[in-house]
This record gives sequence, C-alpha cells and structure tokens, in this order.
Amino acid sequence: MTRDDIKYLILDIIQDIDDEAEFDNLDEDKPLRDQLDLDSMDFLDIVMELRKRHKLQIPEEDYPQLATLMSCVNYLEPKLKDA
Amino acid sequence: MPDHQLIIIGGGLSGLAAGIRAARFGLKPLIVEQHSLPGGLNSYYFRQGHLLETGLHAMTNFAPPGLKHAPLNRLFRQLQLSRKEFTTHEQIESEVIFPQTSLRFSNDLNLLCEEIAVRFPAAIDRFRALVKEVDAYDPFAERPWQSARAFLRSRLADPLLEDMLLLPLMVYGNAEEDDMDLGQFAIMFRAVFLEGFFRPSGTIKDLLELLLAHYKHFGGEIRFRAPVAQILHEGEQVRGIRLQSGEELFAAAVLSTVGIPGTAEMSGWPLQASRYTGRMSFMETITLLPELRLPPERSGKTIIFYNQKERLAYHRPSGPIDASWGVICFPGNFHGMLHDGPAQVRVTNAANYDLWRQADEAEYLRLKEVCGQQAGAAVRKILGDCCQHPLFQDSFTPLTIERYTSKCAGAVYGSPVKIKSGKTPWRNLFIAGTDQGYLGIVGAMLSGVTIVNQHLLK
Ligand SMILES: Cc1cc2nc3c(=O)[nH]c(=O)nc-3n(C[C@H](O)[C@H](O)[C@H](O)COP(=O)(O)OP(=O)(O)OC[C@H]3O[C@@H](n4cnc5c(N)ncnc54)[C@H](O)[C@@H]3O)c2cc1C
Repeated sequence: MTRDDIKYLILDIIQDIDDEAEFDNLDEDKPLRDQLDLDSMDFLDIVMELRKRHKLQIPEEDYPQLATLMSCVNYLEPKLKDA
Repeated sequence: MPDHQLIIIGGGLSGLAAGIRAARFGLKPLIVEQHSLPGGLNSYYFRQGHLLETGLHAMTNFAPPGLKHAPLNRLFRQLQLSRKEFTTHEQIESEVIFPQTSLRFSNDLNLLCEEIAVRFPAAIDRFRALVKEVDAYDPFAERPWQSARAFLRSRLADPLLEDMLLLPLMVYGNAEEDDMDLGQFAIMFRAVFLEGFFRPSGTIKDLLELLLAHYKHFGGEIRFRAPVAQILHEGEQVRGIRLQSGEELFAAAVLSTVGIPGTAEMSGWPLQASRYTGRMSFMETITLLPELRLPPERSGKTIIFYNQKERLAYHRPSGPIDASWGVICFPGNFHGMLHDGPAQVRVTNAANYDLWRQADEAEYLRLKEVCGQQAGAAVRKILGDCCQHPLFQDSFTPLTIERYTSKCAGAVYGSPVKIKSGKTPWRNLFIAGTDQGYLGIVGAMLSGVTIVNQHLLK
C-alpha cells in the first residue's frame, strides 16, 4: 500500500466506526481522538478493524503510535507494504 | 478444536449486544436461548390478537444524535448501528406523586429544578450542587459500597425530597432493598434525570428484530429452544456447554447472561447463592383501553411514580404485592407516537416472590385476581375511573419473570451484589448483563459490549 492508500484506509475505518465523523478540517499531525471526539472504545475499534481487514496484530504498547493520521501512516507503512 | 470461538448463553439484550460486538470482529459467536423468542426480560407475546410487551416502559439514557460521548450514542457506534436512522420519541412529562406533594420532570432538567424550587425552596440550591456533583462522579471506578441515602441526606437534608428522587431511580434499577449503592445511584440519576426517557418507534419486537438481523448480518448464529443445562469445565478452563437435550457444544470461551445464581448452578461455581439472589420482584398489569381519558391534571403524562404512604418502602412487601407504591406507565404518551389501536396502561408493583411461589394453581389464580384489584384501586385514587371497562387485561408475576428469564426468585434487577469485572473462577467463562452491574435496556447492552471488549477482543 502507498502512504495515500493507508491514509484512506484509516479514514475509511473511522467512517465505519462513526458515520457522523467529519474530515473537512482534519489536521494530519494533531491527535485524531481530540479532533474527531473519539473515546477509548472507538479507538480500540480502529485496532480491531485493522486486525479484521489486514490480519494486523497491534500490541497495546504500540497504540500511541496511532495517535495522529500521520503517525498511523508512518507506523503502518512497513507493515502494509505488501498489502 | 472447539466448535465455536464464543458461546453466549441467553438471547436477552446483553447477549444480543455481546453477540453483535463479537461477530462484528469475526469471532463467529453462537447464542443459545432457551425460549423461542429473543429479548429475555424485554420481550413480547401475543394474546387475543394483541402484541403485548414485557418490560419496555421506556428506555433511559436519551441522547440526540451527535452527542458523541452519551452512552446511547456510544452504544450505537459500538454496535455499528446508525443512530440517525433510529427514530426516538422522547417522553412528554413524568411525575412523582407522594401524599405530601408531587414533582414533575421531563428530559429537560429545568422542569425538575423549577418544581423543586417551588415545593422545596430551601433545597433548590443544594439540589443544583448535587446535580453538578453527580455529573462529575465516575460511577465505573471500583470502590467499596457507599450509601446513596447517606449521600442524599448529607447533601439535601430533606428526607421527603430524598424519597421522591429515589423512587424512580430505585424502581427502574436497584437490586438492593431500602438503600442503593452510590455508584448505581449516579448511573440511574444520569440515565433518568439528566438524560431521560424515550421510546424507539414501534415496539420492542422491532428493536429485537433490528438487533437480530444485524447480528446475523455479521455472521452470528443463534439457536432458540436450546436451554443450557451445564457449563462444562476442566481445570481452570471451561470447555463448552451441555444443552438440556444432552447435546454438547464446545467453545474457546463462554459468556453467560443468565445471572450469577443461574451461572453458578450450571457450572458448579461454589458461592453462597442467597447472597446473590435479589429480593425485589414485581407484578405488572397491562390494560388495553378503547381510549385513554386521563383526568386533566394527569393528561399527557408519560410515567407516574406514586407512593401513597409518608415514606417510601422500597423492599419486598409482606403481602403478595404492595400496591401502596408503584409505577403507572402510558406507553403511548411519548412525543410524536402514532396512535393506532387501543391505548395501553401498565401498572407495576413490588411483589413477594415466596408468597407467589408457595401458592398452588388455584391460589395463584386467586392471588392474581385479588392483587390486580388492589393495583386497580391504587390507580383509581390517582387517575379516577379511566381504566374501567378494559378491552383486555393481563398480568405477570414474579413466577412469570422467573419462568421466562430464569432470573432467580424473579428478581428483575438480579443480584444485589454485582461482579463488575465479569470474571468467574474459570479463565474463559465470563458474565454480562444484569448481574455484571449495568441495568435496564441500554445498560444491559452496554454490559454485553464492555465484557466482550475487555475479555474477548483484546
Ligand atoms: C416488568 C419489567 C419492566 C422493565 N422495564 C424496563 C424499562 O422500561 N426500561 C428499561 O430500560 N429496562 C426495563 N426493564 C429491565 C430490563 O429489561 C433488563 O435490565 C434487561 O433487559 C436485562 O437484560 P439481560 O440481557 O441482562 O437479562 P435477560 O433479559 O434476563 O436475558 C437473559 C436471557 O437468558 C436466557 N436464559 C436464561 N437461562 C438460560 C439457560 N439455561 N439456557 C439458555 N438461555 C437461558 C433467558 O431466556 C433470557 O433470554 C424491565 C424489566 C421488567 C421485568
């Protein structure tokens, strides 16, 4: 997957989790949770969706790496390079 | 290899919600339900061509779409159900009626504040401070039991106001007698006074069908008429279940929603059953009328919580029922509900399980008749003759509740002692639903979701 593919994947997952999510003013370098008003239960769902869709196991200690859209892309790029 | 990754015992609201959550993330769960219908405590039946609901006076925790952190909306996101497409009807106005005075409330907290300002002028500032305190309280943190009554006494210093506020909260969600845990009080205070009552459009049948279809859409399986007799285990692990038919099904994990006493009986969990058997049970009478003609001062009310004595006696009555306090619900009186067909009135009173249990068949029928009349007389004092000449009347008792849900002793709110972690002595057996600590329809569903998140998805 390219970096853009990964970005769309994450946005698609968030849309799936929250059909009211608005991405218009999303800052890629700011925490997703604050901007989208997500809670820890929603956040777990991003991890769960990645597991379901791409068989990715993300250990709990790595969750902070999924904080912003950009950090998600950086973290997932090597893991999804063959996807 | 086990046959299933997860077996869920019970197709009530907690079991269905747990199932949806598990199936959504590919766990391929199987729900086994003893009855031919889903819903458990909140289900329905047909009599003389009428669909009658059991439970569902109202759902608590109202929140409009968009309020992301509200429990209701969070629940919908977790289940991946669209909140926007779920039509809700808010309550019109409810009332707590005591001999001394009455208090009206709605989903707008201002109404309750105005009423308290008029009837309890000395307490209104204290009440506003209490609202702030409860709003900031974290009811989910693990703490030792604390008395809600002691808390209210110290904050409001008014025993009558204390009783009047407690009546709706206790009758809609307290497994203990006379007092309640402060955490449970905070959950119920928010659910009822800060968020409020609503009904989904349609009946409980529509809601259950929505949940069931969603569950199946994610690949979940359900078997009806499949009562579980035993939970099979070996060492620290459970292996699966044995149905009453003798059939054995194996699973990597089992989630039980039948309550602590029922789960203990099926698994041989050595615990003192009496400690986990609730004493609060109820009788409910459903009356269908050609039309609802309430006296002017009560017209348009959604739910009336009444007490005809000086103090509130929230405990198991000494007679078969205690008609001196209870709930009168008008399921048609919600904003924007369509009125076709007969009007409904539902009356709920505390009941003594043991007395109903001891009765033989003839005595049981006689009790039903006598208690129905007692409840009717109590209602007449408040509503006048509006419930005369019903088209249809039926009532259910603690035994009906026990028979249809297996809730030990017909205890609607389950065990007075909850197991919030959902854990049991077996590493892969968990409990969810009423005895995990969240009550009511929204609560039961959140419980199912939370336990699956904590123990099965991570
Ligand atoms: C009269 C009444 C009115 C109520 N009104 C309201 C209301 O207006 N608003 C509100 O929010 N809440 C209301 N409640 C409370 C609400 O119904 C419950 O809190 C909630 O439904 C509990 O769900 P649960 O899944 O924990 O338990 P249950 O609904 O009891 O689910 C347990 C399920 O397990 C099944 N089961 C039991 N034993 C076995 C076995 N051995 N094998 C297989 N299956 C088994 C049962 O058949 C049942 O389907 C009311 C309850 C009652 C009784």
